[in-house]
Amino acid sequence: MDSNLAAGLAMGLGAIGPGIGLGIAVSKAMEALGRNPEASGAIFVPYILGIALAEAIGIYALVVSLLLIFVVPGAA
Amino acid sequence: MPEEEGGESLIHVAIAAEDLFVIGPLHFTNSMVGALMASALLLVGAWWFTRRTSLVPGRMVSVLELPIELMSGIVSASSTRWRGYIGLILGFFLMILVANWIGLLPGVGTIGITHIDEAGHEAVIPIVRPASADLNFTLGLAIVAFVMFVYWGIKANGGGGYLKELIGEPRYMAPLMFPINLISEFSRLISLSMRLFGNVFAGEVLLATMIALAPIIIPAVFLGLEVLFGFVQALVFALLAMTYIGTAIAEHHAAGHGDDDHGAEPDAGHASHSPAADAAAA
Repeated sequence: MDSNLAAGLAMGLGAIGPGIGLGIAVSKAMEALGRNPEASGAIFVPYILGIALAEAIGIYALVVSLLLIFVVPGAA
Repeated sequence: MPEEEGGESLIHVAIAAEDLFVIGPLHFTNSMVGALMASALLLVGAWWFTRRTSLVPGRMVSVLELPIELMSGIVSASSTRWRGYIGLILGFFLMILVANWIGLLPGVGTIGITHIDEAGHEAVIPIVRPASADLNFTLGLAIVAFVMFVYWGIKANGGGGYLKELIGEPRYMAPLMFPINLISEFSRLISLSMRLFGNVFAGEVLLATMIALAPIIIPAVFLGLEVLFGFVQALVFALLAMTYIGTAIAEHHAAGHGDDDHGAEPDAGHASHSPAADAAAA
Protein backbone atom coordinates (compact mmCIF):
# COMPACT_ATOMS: atom_id res chain seq x y z
CA MET A 1 0.00 0.00 0.00
CA ASP A 2 2.70 2.45 1.03
CA SER A 3 4.87 1.57 -1.91
CA ASN A 4 1.93 1.96 -4.30
CA LEU A 5 1.42 5.47 -2.96
CA ALA A 6 5.15 6.07 -3.30
CA ALA A 7 5.06 4.81 -6.87
CA GLY A 8 2.25 7.18 -7.75
CA LEU A 9 4.03 10.08 -6.10
CA ALA A 10 7.33 9.23 -7.78
CA MET A 11 5.73 9.18 -11.21
CA GLY A 12 3.57 12.25 -10.65
CA LEU A 13 6.26 14.44 -9.14
CA GLY A 14 8.87 13.07 -11.47
CA ALA A 15 6.81 14.06 -14.49
CA ILE A 16 6.73 17.73 -13.52
CA GLY A 17 10.32 18.50 -14.44
CA PRO A 18 10.42 16.72 -17.80
CA GLY A 19 7.04 18.23 -18.64
CA ILE A 20 8.34 21.75 -18.12
CA GLY A 21 11.57 20.92 -19.90
CA LEU A 22 9.81 19.43 -22.90
CA GLY A 23 7.50 22.41 -23.07
CA ILE A 24 10.45 24.79 -23.18
CA ALA A 25 12.27 22.68 -25.76
CA VAL A 26 9.28 22.38 -28.07
CA SER A 27 8.32 26.05 -27.75
CA LYS A 28 11.87 27.15 -28.59
CA ALA A 29 12.04 24.75 -31.52
CA MET A 30 8.72 26.02 -32.86
CA GLU A 31 9.89 29.60 -32.42
CA ALA A 32 13.03 28.82 -34.35
CA LEU A 33 11.01 27.10 -37.06
CA GLY A 34 8.64 30.06 -37.27
CA ARG A 35 11.52 32.45 -37.71
CA ASN A 36 13.36 30.30 -40.18
CA PRO A 37 11.41 27.40 -41.71
CA GLU A 38 14.37 26.40 -43.89
CA ALA A 39 16.39 25.45 -40.83
CA SER A 40 14.10 22.51 -40.00
CA GLY A 41 16.75 20.01 -41.07
CA ALA A 42 19.39 21.58 -38.85
CA ILE A 43 17.01 21.89 -35.91
CA PHE A 44 15.58 18.38 -36.14
CA VAL A 45 18.46 16.28 -34.79
CA PRO A 46 19.44 18.48 -31.79
CA TYR A 47 15.73 18.88 -31.05
CA ILE A 48 15.08 15.14 -30.95
CA LEU A 49 18.20 14.60 -28.83
CA GLY A 50 17.24 17.35 -26.39
CA ILE A 51 13.75 15.98 -26.07
CA ALA A 52 15.10 12.48 -25.50
CA LEU A 53 17.40 13.71 -22.75
CA ALA A 54 14.62 15.66 -21.04
CA GLU A 55 12.29 12.73 -21.34
CA ALA A 56 14.87 10.38 -19.84
CA ILE A 57 14.27 12.02 -16.45
CA GLY A 58 10.61 11.11 -16.67
CA ILE A 59 11.60 7.58 -17.63
CA TYR A 60 13.80 7.37 -14.53
CA ALA A 61 10.76 8.26 -12.45
CA LEU A 62 8.81 5.57 -14.28
CA VAL A 63 11.53 3.02 -13.58
CA VAL A 64 11.58 3.95 -9.90
CA SER A 65 7.82 3.59 -9.65
CA LEU A 66 7.92 0.28 -11.52
CA LEU A 67 10.55 -0.92 -9.09
CA LEU A 68 8.36 0.20 -6.21
CA ILE A 69 5.39 -1.69 -7.59
CA PHE A 70 6.98 -4.89 -8.85
CA VAL A 71 10.23 -5.37 -6.99
CA VAL A 72 9.83 -3.99 -3.46
CA PRO A 73 8.59 -6.92 -1.33
CA GLY A 74 5.17 -6.60 0.15
CA ALA A 75 4.03 -4.22 -2.57
CA ALA A 76 0.62 -4.25 -4.23
CA MET B 1 1.73 -11.90 -10.43
CA PRO B 2 1.16 -8.99 -8.09
CA GLU B 3 -1.25 -7.12 -10.35
CA GLU B 4 -3.59 -10.11 -10.48
CA GLU B 5 -4.43 -9.69 -6.83
CA GLY B 6 -8.05 -8.80 -7.48
CA GLY B 7 -8.42 -12.05 -9.37
CA GLU B 8 -10.38 -10.49 -12.22
CA SER B 9 -8.26 -7.47 -13.07
CA LEU B 10 -8.69 -6.60 -16.73
CA ILE B 11 -5.28 -5.01 -16.92
CA HIS B 12 -2.66 -7.65 -17.52
CA VAL B 13 0.82 -6.20 -17.29
CA ALA B 14 3.94 -8.19 -16.56
CA ILE B 15 7.18 -6.30 -16.14
CA ALA B 16 9.33 -9.30 -17.05
CA ALA B 17 8.93 -11.36 -20.15
CA GLU B 18 7.18 -14.64 -19.42
CA ASP B 19 8.54 -18.05 -20.25
CA LEU B 20 6.82 -19.94 -23.03
CA PHE B 21 8.91 -23.06 -22.54
CA VAL B 22 12.26 -23.97 -21.05
CA ILE B 23 14.95 -25.98 -22.83
CA GLY B 24 17.68 -26.75 -20.32
CA PRO B 25 19.21 -23.43 -19.27
CA LEU B 26 17.41 -21.48 -22.02
CA HIS B 27 14.21 -19.79 -20.99
CA PHE B 28 12.38 -19.14 -24.21
CA THR B 29 10.34 -16.03 -23.44
CA ASN B 30 7.59 -14.35 -25.39
CA SER B 31 9.73 -11.27 -26.01
CA MET B 32 12.23 -13.53 -27.76
CA VAL B 33 9.43 -14.47 -30.15
CA GLY B 34 8.91 -10.75 -30.77
CA ALA B 35 12.61 -10.19 -31.39
CA LEU B 36 12.82 -13.20 -33.71
CA MET B 37 9.76 -11.97 -35.61
CA ALA B 38 11.37 -8.57 -36.04
CA SER B 39 14.63 -10.14 -37.22
CA ALA B 40 12.82 -12.44 -39.62
CA LEU B 41 10.77 -9.58 -41.00
CA LEU B 42 13.91 -7.50 -41.53
CA LEU B 43 15.73 -10.40 -43.20
CA VAL B 44 12.82 -11.17 -45.52
CA GLY B 45 12.40 -7.46 -46.18
CA ALA B 46 16.09 -7.09 -47.01
CA TRP B 47 15.96 -10.11 -49.32
CA TRP B 48 12.87 -8.79 -51.09
CA PHE B 49 14.34 -5.30 -51.21
CA THR B 50 17.61 -6.32 -52.84
CA ARG B 51 15.76 -8.37 -55.44
CA ARG B 52 13.52 -5.47 -56.34
CA THR B 53 16.03 -2.65 -56.44
CA SER B 54 16.51 -1.05 -59.79
CA LEU B 55 17.45 2.36 -61.07
CA VAL B 56 13.81 3.42 -61.04
CA PRO B 57 12.36 2.11 -57.77
CA GLY B 58 8.80 0.92 -57.62
CA ARG B 59 6.25 2.41 -55.27
CA MET B 60 6.74 -0.12 -52.45
CA VAL B 61 10.52 0.12 -52.67
CA SER B 62 10.32 3.91 -52.48
CA VAL B 63 8.21 3.70 -49.34
CA LEU B 64 10.73 1.35 -47.74
CA GLU B 65 13.55 3.64 -48.77
CA LEU B 66 12.02 6.62 -46.96
CA PRO B 67 13.21 5.84 -43.40
CA ILE B 68 16.57 4.65 -44.70
CA GLU B 69 17.02 7.86 -46.65
CA LEU B 70 16.05 9.94 -43.63
CA MET B 71 18.53 8.18 -41.38
CA SER B 72 21.40 8.07 -43.83
CA GLY B 73 20.93 11.78 -44.48
CA ILE B 74 21.29 12.48 -40.78
CA VAL B 75 24.15 10.06 -40.18
CA SER B 76 26.20 11.19 -43.14
CA ALA B 77 26.00 14.77 -41.83
CA SER B 78 27.18 13.77 -38.34
CA SER B 79 30.91 13.36 -38.96
CA THR B 80 33.39 12.73 -41.72
CA ARG B 81 33.81 9.11 -40.67
CA TRP B 82 30.14 8.23 -40.98
CA ARG B 83 30.86 5.33 -43.34
CA GLY B 84 32.32 3.38 -40.42
CA TYR B 85 29.19 3.34 -38.31
CA ILE B 86 26.24 4.03 -40.59
CA GLY B 87 25.45 0.32 -40.82
CA LEU B 88 25.28 0.03 -37.05
CA ILE B 89 23.07 3.10 -36.65
CA LEU B 90 20.72 2.05 -39.45
CA GLY B 91 20.61 -1.43 -37.96
CA PHE B 92 19.61 -0.04 -34.56
CA PHE B 93 16.99 2.15 -36.14
CA LEU B 94 15.36 -0.51 -38.32
CA MET B 95 15.48 -3.21 -35.66
CA ILE B 96 13.91 -1.04 -32.97
CA LEU B 97 11.37 0.40 -35.39
CA VAL B 98 10.22 -3.03 -36.55
CA ALA B 99 10.28 -4.44 -33.00
CA ASN B 100 8.18 -1.52 -31.74
CA TRP B 101 5.66 -1.70 -34.52
CA ILE B 102 5.27 -5.46 -34.29
CA GLY B 103 4.05 -4.83 -30.74
CA LEU B 104 1.14 -2.81 -32.11
CA LEU B 105 -0.20 -5.51 -34.42
CA PRO B 106 -3.55 -6.95 -33.36
CA GLY B 107 -3.23 -10.18 -31.43
CA VAL B 108 0.29 -9.56 -30.18
CA GLY B 109 -0.54 -9.05 -26.52
CA THR B 110 -3.85 -10.88 -26.58
CA ILE B 111 -3.33 -14.31 -28.17
CA GLY B 112 -1.67 -16.54 -25.66
CA ILE B 113 -1.53 -19.68 -23.61
CA THR B 114 -3.72 -19.85 -20.53
CA HIS B 115 -2.21 -21.33 -17.45
CA ILE B 116 -2.87 -21.37 -13.73
CA ASP B 117 -0.35 -19.27 -11.84
CA GLU B 118 0.96 -19.89 -8.33
CA ALA B 119 -1.90 -18.00 -6.71
CA GLY B 120 -4.39 -20.26 -8.47
CA HIS B 121 -5.71 -17.62 -10.87
CA GLU B 122 -6.04 -18.23 -14.56
CA ALA B 123 -3.64 -16.03 -16.50
CA VAL B 124 -2.82 -15.65 -20.15
CA ILE B 125 0.79 -15.70 -21.31
CA PRO B 126 0.89 -13.82 -24.62
CA ILE B 127 2.81 -15.71 -27.28
CA VAL B 128 4.33 -12.55 -28.70
CA ARG B 129 5.53 -9.62 -26.65
CA PRO B 130 7.11 -6.57 -28.28
CA ALA B 131 10.84 -7.14 -27.93
CA SER B 132 11.63 -3.63 -26.69
CA ALA B 133 9.19 -4.03 -23.79
CA ASP B 134 11.79 -6.38 -22.33
CA LEU B 135 14.80 -4.87 -20.58
CA ASN B 136 17.02 -7.73 -21.82
CA PHE B 137 16.53 -6.70 -25.42
CA THR B 138 17.11 -2.97 -24.88
CA LEU B 139 20.07 -3.61 -22.58
CA GLY B 140 21.57 -5.87 -25.23
CA LEU B 141 21.24 -3.15 -27.84
CA ALA B 142 22.67 -0.58 -25.42
CA ILE B 143 25.66 -2.82 -24.67
CA VAL B 144 26.35 -3.07 -28.39
CA ALA B 145 26.13 0.72 -28.65
CA PHE B 146 28.35 1.15 -25.59
CA VAL B 147 31.03 -1.22 -26.90
CA MET B 148 30.92 0.55 -30.25
CA PHE B 149 31.37 4.07 -28.92
CA VAL B 150 34.17 3.00 -26.62
CA TYR B 151 35.72 1.20 -29.61
CA TRP B 152 35.42 4.31 -31.76
CA GLY B 153 36.84 6.48 -28.99
CA ILE B 154 39.85 4.20 -28.65
CA LYS B 155 40.22 3.87 -32.42
CA ALA B 156 40.17 7.64 -32.94
CA ASN B 157 42.29 8.69 -29.95
CA GLY B 158 44.24 5.56 -29.04
CA GLY B 159 43.94 3.84 -25.67
CA GLY B 160 45.97 6.59 -23.97
CA GLY B 161 43.87 9.34 -25.52
CA TYR B 162 40.68 7.65 -24.40
CA LEU B 163 42.05 7.34 -20.86
CA LYS B 164 43.12 10.97 -20.97
CA GLU B 165 39.54 11.97 -21.76
CA LEU B 166 38.30 9.98 -18.81
CA ILE B 167 40.82 11.67 -16.52
CA GLY B 168 39.84 15.14 -17.67
CA GLU B 169 41.72 18.33 -18.34
CA PRO B 170 43.35 19.65 -15.13
CA ARG B 171 45.36 16.59 -14.18
CA TYR B 172 45.22 17.25 -10.42
CA MET B 173 41.42 16.93 -10.51
CA ALA B 174 41.73 13.32 -11.67
CA PRO B 175 40.76 11.66 -8.36
CA LEU B 176 37.47 13.54 -8.51
CA MET B 177 36.83 13.61 -12.25
CA PHE B 178 37.85 10.07 -13.16
CA PRO B 179 35.05 8.34 -11.20
CA ILE B 180 32.56 10.93 -12.40
CA ASN B 181 33.53 10.45 -16.03
CA LEU B 182 33.53 6.70 -15.62
CA ILE B 183 30.04 6.81 -14.12
CA SER B 184 28.83 9.11 -16.87
CA GLU B 185 30.12 6.63 -19.47
CA PHE B 186 28.18 3.83 -17.84
CA SER B 187 25.12 5.97 -17.23
CA ARG B 188 24.78 6.23 -21.00
CA LEU B 189 24.37 2.48 -21.05
CA ILE B 190 21.68 2.64 -18.38
CA SER B 191 19.85 5.60 -19.84
CA LEU B 192 19.87 4.23 -23.40
CA SER B 193 18.38 0.94 -22.34
CA MET B 194 16.01 2.37 -19.74
CA ARG B 195 14.68 5.03 -22.09
CA LEU B 196 13.68 2.56 -24.76
CA PHE B 197 12.35 0.00 -22.30
CA GLY B 198 10.49 2.59 -20.24
CA ASN B 199 8.83 4.17 -23.24
CA VAL B 200 7.71 0.96 -24.89
CA PHE B 201 6.66 -0.65 -21.63
CA ALA B 202 4.79 2.48 -20.56
CA GLY B 203 3.09 2.42 -23.95
CA GLU B 204 2.02 -1.16 -23.35
CA VAL B 205 0.66 -0.28 -19.91
CA LEU B 206 -1.12 2.75 -21.36
CA LEU B 207 -2.75 0.66 -24.10
CA ALA B 208 -3.75 -2.07 -21.65
CA THR B 209 -5.27 0.53 -19.31
CA MET B 210 -7.13 2.27 -22.10
CA ILE B 211 -8.50 -0.98 -23.51
CA ALA B 212 -9.68 -1.93 -20.03
CA LEU B 213 -11.30 1.48 -19.46
CA ALA B 214 -12.90 2.03 -22.85
CA PRO B 215 -12.71 -0.97 -25.17
CA ILE B 216 -14.04 0.73 -28.33
CA ILE B 217 -12.72 3.67 -30.44
CA ILE B 218 -10.62 5.41 -27.73
CA PRO B 219 -7.71 2.89 -27.74
CA ALA B 220 -7.34 3.55 -31.48
CA VAL B 221 -6.22 7.10 -30.69
CA PHE B 222 -3.55 5.77 -28.37
CA LEU B 223 -2.54 3.12 -30.89
CA GLY B 224 -1.91 5.93 -33.36
CA LEU B 225 0.12 7.71 -30.71
CA GLU B 226 2.13 4.54 -30.10
CA VAL B 227 2.93 4.27 -33.80
CA LEU B 228 4.44 7.74 -33.56
CA PHE B 229 6.25 6.96 -30.29
CA GLY B 230 7.64 3.73 -31.67
CA PHE B 231 9.15 5.66 -34.54
CA VAL B 232 10.46 8.46 -32.33
CA GLN B 233 12.04 6.04 -29.87
CA ALA B 234 13.80 4.13 -32.65
CA LEU B 235 15.04 7.46 -33.98
CA VAL B 236 16.14 8.63 -30.53
CA PHE B 237 18.09 5.45 -29.80
CA ALA B 238 19.84 5.54 -33.17
CA LEU B 239 20.56 9.27 -32.95
CA LEU B 240 21.93 9.02 -29.41
CA ALA B 241 24.17 6.11 -30.37
CA MET B 242 25.30 8.17 -33.35
CA THR B 243 25.99 11.23 -31.20
CA TYR B 244 27.92 9.22 -28.64
CA ILE B 245 30.10 7.73 -31.38
CA GLY B 246 30.41 11.18 -32.97
CA THR B 247 31.59 12.79 -29.73
CA ALA B 248 33.95 9.88 -29.07
CA ILE B 249 35.59 10.69 -32.39
CA ALA B 250 35.30 14.46 -32.19
CA GLU B 251 36.74 14.92 -28.70
CA HIS B 252 40.04 13.89 -30.18
CA HIS B 253 39.84 16.80 -32.60
CA ALA B 254 39.00 19.31 -29.86
CA ALA B 255 41.84 18.04 -27.66
CA GLY B 256 44.24 18.57 -30.54
CA HIS B 257 46.26 15.35 -30.51
CA GLY B 258 48.16 14.85 -33.74
CA ASP B 259 48.28 11.06 -33.96
CA ASP B 260 45.38 10.67 -36.35
CA ASP B 261 44.90 12.07 -39.82
CA HIS B 262 41.12 11.84 -40.16
CA GLY B 263 40.04 14.56 -37.77
CA ALA B 264 36.26 14.60 -37.48
CA GLU B 265 34.35 17.83 -37.72
CA PRO B 266 32.61 18.47 -34.42
CA ASP B 267 29.77 20.45 -35.95
CA ALA B 268 29.30 18.94 -39.38
CA GLY B 269 25.54 18.76 -38.78
CA HIS B 270 25.29 22.51 -38.70
CA ALA B 271 27.77 23.13 -41.43
CA SER B 272 25.58 21.27 -43.89
CA HIS B 273 22.86 23.88 -43.49
CA SER B 274 24.85 27.05 -43.73
CA PRO B 275 22.44 28.74 -46.20
CA ALA B 276 19.70 28.43 -43.60
CA ALA B 277 22.03 29.83 -40.94
CA ASP B 278 22.80 32.78 -43.22
CA ALA B 279 19.10 33.39 -43.67
CA ALA B 280 18.69 33.42 -39.89
CA ALA B 281 21.38 36.03 -39.54
CA ALA B 282 19.77 38.28 -42.14
